[in-house]
Amino acid sequence: MHKWCFILTVVLSITRLFGDETLLQTHCSDCHNDEKSKGKFNVATLGSGPTSENYDRWLDSLDLVTSGEMPPEDDSKLSDSERSKLAKYLDKKVRSFAVGSTPKQAPPRRLNNREFANSVRDVLLLEDIGTNLPTANLIGDSLMHGFDTHAETLGFSRFHLEQHLEAVRKIVNATILSGEQPAANHYPIEARDIIQTNLQQSNQKRKTTPRRRVPHFDFLDPKLHAYFANFETAPATGYYKIKIRATGKDRFLYSSDDTGVYHGDPIQLEIRLGDRERIIDLPDEEETVIELKEWVAEGSRLELHHPTDGLRMRSNGNFKFQYAIAGEYLRKNDQETYQERLKQIRNPNYRNSNRGPNAWMHWTGFWQGPRPRLYEAEIEGPLFDSWPPKRQVALIGKDPKVEDAKAILTPIAERAWRRPVRDGELDDIVDLVERRASTTNDIEALKEGIVSILVSPAFILLNTEDVETRDRFASKLSYFLHSTLPDEELRKPVNKGEFNSLSQVTAWLGKQFETDAADEFLTAFPKAWLELDDINFMSPDPEEYPFYHKKNVSDDMIDEVLAFFRNAVQENLPIPEFLSADYSFINADLATIYGVENVPEDSKFRKYTFSDERRGGLTGMGAFLTSTADSLSTSPIHRAIYVMENFLGIHPTPPPPDVVITEPDVRQAKTIKEILDAHTTDASCASCHKAIDPWGYAFENFGPTGAWRDSYTAPSPMPLNEDGVKPGKKKLKKTSLKIPVDASAEFRNGNEYNDITEYRKLLLTAANRDRFVRCFITKLLTYANGVEPDDTDFVAIDNILSRSAEKEYRIVDTIAAVINSPLFREE
Amino acid sequence: MKIDRRKLLKGLGGTLALPFLESSCLAGETTPTRFLVAGNPFGMHPDYFFPKDFGTDVPLSPTLKSLDWLKDRLTILSHTDHNMVSGHGREVSFLSGVLPEDALAFPEKNMSVDQVMARHVGVKVRYPVIGAGLDSGIRMSWTSNGVEDAPFTDPQALFDHLFLNLTAEEKAARRNLIEQNGSVLDTVGKQFSGMKSVVSHSDMERLDQFQTSVRELEKNFSNRLNWIKTDKPTFDISNHLNQSEVTIENRYHAIFDMIAYAFETDLTRVANVAFPRDLSYTDVGGVTRSYHGCTHNGKMENVTAELVAIETFQIEQLSRFLKRLDSIKEPNADGSMLDHTIVLFGSGMGYGGTHSNRNLPILVAGGGFKHLGHVDTAVNGASMPLCNLYLTLLQRFGVGRDAFNTSTGTFDLSHA
Repeated sequence: MHKWCFILTVVLSITRLFGDETLLQTHCSDCHNDEKSKGKFNVATLGSGPTSENYDRWLDSLDLVTSGEMPPEDDSKLSDSERSKLAKYLDKKVRSFAVGSTPKQAPPRRLNNREFANSVRDVLLLEDIGTNLPTANLIGDSLMHGFDTHAETLGFSRFHLEQHLEAVRKIVNATILSGEQPAANHYPIEARDIIQTNLQQSNQKRKTTPRRRVPHFDFLDPKLHAYFANFETAPATGYYKIKIRATGKDRFLYSSDDTGVYHGDPIQLEIRLGDRERIIDLPDEEETVIELKEWVAEGSRLELHHPTDGLRMRSNGNFKFQYAIAGEYLRKNDQETYQERLKQIRNPNYRNSNRGPNAWMHWTGFWQGPRPRLYEAEIEGPLFDSWPPKRQVALIGKDPKVEDAKAILTPIAERAWRRPVRDGELDDIVDLVERRASTTNDIEALKEGIVSILVSPAFILLNTEDVETRDRFASKLSYFLHSTLPDEELRKPVNKGEFNSLSQVTAWLGKQFETDAADEFLTAFPKAWLELDDINFMSPDPEEYPFYHKKNVSDDMIDEVLAFFRNAVQENLPIPEFLSADYSFINADLATIYGVENVPEDSKFRKYTFSDERRGGLTGMGAFLTSTADSLSTSPIHRAIYVMENFLGIHPTPPPPDVVITEPDVRQAKTIKEILDAHTTDASCASCHKAIDPWGYAFENFGPTGAWRDSYTAPSPMPLNEDGVKPGKKKLKKTSLKIPVDASAEFRNGNEYNDITEYRKLLLTAANRDRFVRCFITKLLTYANGVEPDDTDFVAIDNILSRSAEKEYRIVDTIAAVINSPLFREE
Repeated sequence: MKIDRRKLLKGLGGTLALPFLESSCLAGETTPTRFLVAGNPFGMHPDYFFPKDFGTDVPLSPTLKSLDWLKDRLTILSHTDHNMVSGHGREVSFLSGVLPEDALAFPEKNMSVDQVMARHVGVKVRYPVIGAGLDSGIRMSWTSNGVEDAPFTDPQALFDHLFLNLTAEEKAARRNLIEQNGSVLDTVGKQFSGMKSVVSHSDMERLDQFQTSVRELEKNFSNRLNWIKTDKPTFDISNHLNQSEVTIENRYHAIFDMIAYAFETDLTRVANVAFPRDLSYTDVGGVTRSYHGCTHNGKMENVTAELVAIETFQIEQLSRFLKRLDSIKEPNADGSMLDHTIVLFGSGMGYGGTHSNRNLPILVAGGGFKHLGHVDTAVNGASMPLCNLYLTLLQRFGVGRDAFNTSTGTFDLSHA
């Protein structure tokens, strides 16, 4: 009986298979055959089933048939039920091949600079790596498609090694002290000791303005920094008590339209010690004493600064031009002072008497803009909680001896190397320490051992194969979420096998997001996924879009994405909500760009619900719309590619090298569709662009900064001078020529849209939703593994997608499913 | 589609043979040949860069006007490139013809031509190669390890590196530190061997990189210990940097002057200078926009003018440097230092406005070549591999080899 059943099933499935294969021949081979292979595809290459040579073709076929894009709507007789039959057939074939593919191991790679700083910090049990900019010398990391964790760009050279060595020495020297305890000093600082400085990148020399006896110090130009004349740099490493008496001045006096500083934002003072920043809100017109106690490395500079993105609205943004605001204010509010000054200005002996009363140089002494005011300060240090300091005792003990080098260095090495120290592995290092001890004291000799541990390959290289599976997993998990080494609290349970199930991973992950433990991931991953560091690779034209530049709006745009992402994780929202949301997180600057009202006048990000169905979620965000636009015009192609690569996981083939791309000419009064005419009329362009361009046209209503527009404004045509043109500040002649925006298009599967609101709905079809979540999963795996998953990982990714779907695609559950997948676990 | 490394390796089987050993016949030579390359990431506006006519004695194009004095001693190459598809990111192949992701298919990875020359010079000079620029690099110089050699981006730091002499006390401290670091490396290297023995099959590439780094740095340390005794030449760049306003121009003057002097005093024989993408050229006449923004000018006259101003600026800096070299007599030989210095200007991108990476803007000066003016290198409409030119330059430099990456021959440029 059983036997018969079995045979019957086999016979049935064979006929079914044959039947579906016929569908492929009937409906696809007209365009994709030996003679005619549209889109460079020939059905014959599929053969009888997937092989390692044609697997990518099978995957493409599955994706295109499922989404309805192939066969295309206009020349296909494939019925809906046949389409789903064909898709099932392809899916089955794809799965049959993937069975038995073994998990790959993530390639070894160097720690990136971010991970390096965090890891050294945690090996040495510090709050940060120090105030003397120890990693400023490191060679910057290059990004690979936005990712700073990508193995391809995290190579290693002698330059890297030397810089690492130098950085490690600097940090260790500022952490472990030997010899006598240095005596503390007291530094009283009066207002006249506070000096303004312009740290120009050009020559690194301080330009100082000596000041006479004054009752206070006001910060005017936000580009300038201040320092204390009698405390330029810390004379010795240790704790310093810093007291500063200060207040906020004139927050509400000038209009925020003039200053670019919102009345809703408190006046702040930034105290900077190397990379360490403390930002303090100052009370208005009320003196307060700021007190800090900081561990400061010898040679660190202490600098003060007024952090604001305002005070640059006039002219080219240089602060001096803002003085005109002072004059305008007096004219409106203090006629007496104003008239007095007018008399002086009109005096022919006055140097600038020929300049009109509104010129900035008349009003330099009258500035009453929002600013921090300092009265005095006091510094005491270096101070110590004990000698040697407690942090040092925690690391190497109170009175460490070279004889105990192995015992002292073992826990340090175990943290640094993220695994147990092997037998005999420390012998060479201990040997080095002992040799060193013959010429210096025990503590200095031990430092040499710590330096060696921190430049060793076991510290600098991640994912090396010699590490046991569970230690590798703990490391990977920790670098994925915390961008640093795993602590005991993680390594222990992982090694006990308490991370072996999806539910255990999910529970742990949930806890990470309840605190600030995963902050690195919440910033670094969305930046990598959405390539946010490239937002200003081509920023909007500064003359056409001054607001964008003067208020550093790109920073706000990046923060909008980060706020949205953080909220999604904290609320464990379904991933498709990144596309479907009718809300985002914006502040007053973004409200200006987006043209929305009723947003409080400050820089805080708050959830805002858009009622126009145009914005909300990723597709309406300035970060996406700006980074994909040219400086003076927009490119539906760039935007389409971005949507395909970063939202849908589709990788269109780049145009062949011999294609000559015509340079865009924004002077012509043509719509973008007329300009890209060849994409539909030239068959060789159309075969690919028909699948690309519809993803981008919908965004044409968003200009280069992401602001809404109903029509293009074409500048008047100006012929190019063949003999070369002289540069000059010739302003563009604006014409009244307005061409209405056409943001409609049709996809290959016959779906059409008229504008962004209809396009957004099409992005949410089941096929596109799955593409989006799959793309998100792929990006997470790239971030974690330092390499993109490849075709052979298709089924494993599909399994993660199924786990995700079971939980309504909720983001935390999906991340947990990624971590629990063989693609992350590598087993 | 991703390139399968293994397939590529197979396909290029023939080229996997080790490169020709570089000739060491230069031992005992008295007159060194030097090399300087200046590059940018966005190419040049072709209408303003390439002269209209071919041949010697043709009127120079607007961008090249400042080189008029050198007109008869220049070669401008049209229609040469690395056959790359359009788009950003390929310009990193400027000096090698090889993208980092394809580097494993080549015996010397994507090592750039300046680094090949630097390796050839070796420890004969204090610094085998000097890289400089402002703001950031443009990723044009790559070592045999397939890793970028990042340039100095602060003229002051470059100055300290090249010309700052230490006091006797500082020298002793420096020597101690180098020795101490040497011991650390020694220890680290031993751990590495242990680690490598455990590793069985995974990608050894990255691990080898680490080991090579340790070895190279050790060698570099011992080279430095040798040189520490010798004082560096003294030089003064304060006239450039101690002005009330330090402009981009001042700083490039300082950079080029330092390199010229480093050539003159034989501190180095190979240098590269970058004009990076993120540098704000707003103190160059009439420029208000970002460099990249200007390349996407949409053919607007005023924006194009800004781009041409930036490109002209770059050539003017080069021209000033060439003039300087030409004013120095080559010690122990005929001609000026320029006659013994190969100078290359160009980019791995054709023109940013079209994103084209074909027809790269390439210019050669100096080096004692019999220069050709403006040359069309295309044969039957097919452009010449730029590596052909590099092979010619390498041979001129004294590196005896008959192939360089994607070269198919040499470029016909003889020397006197």
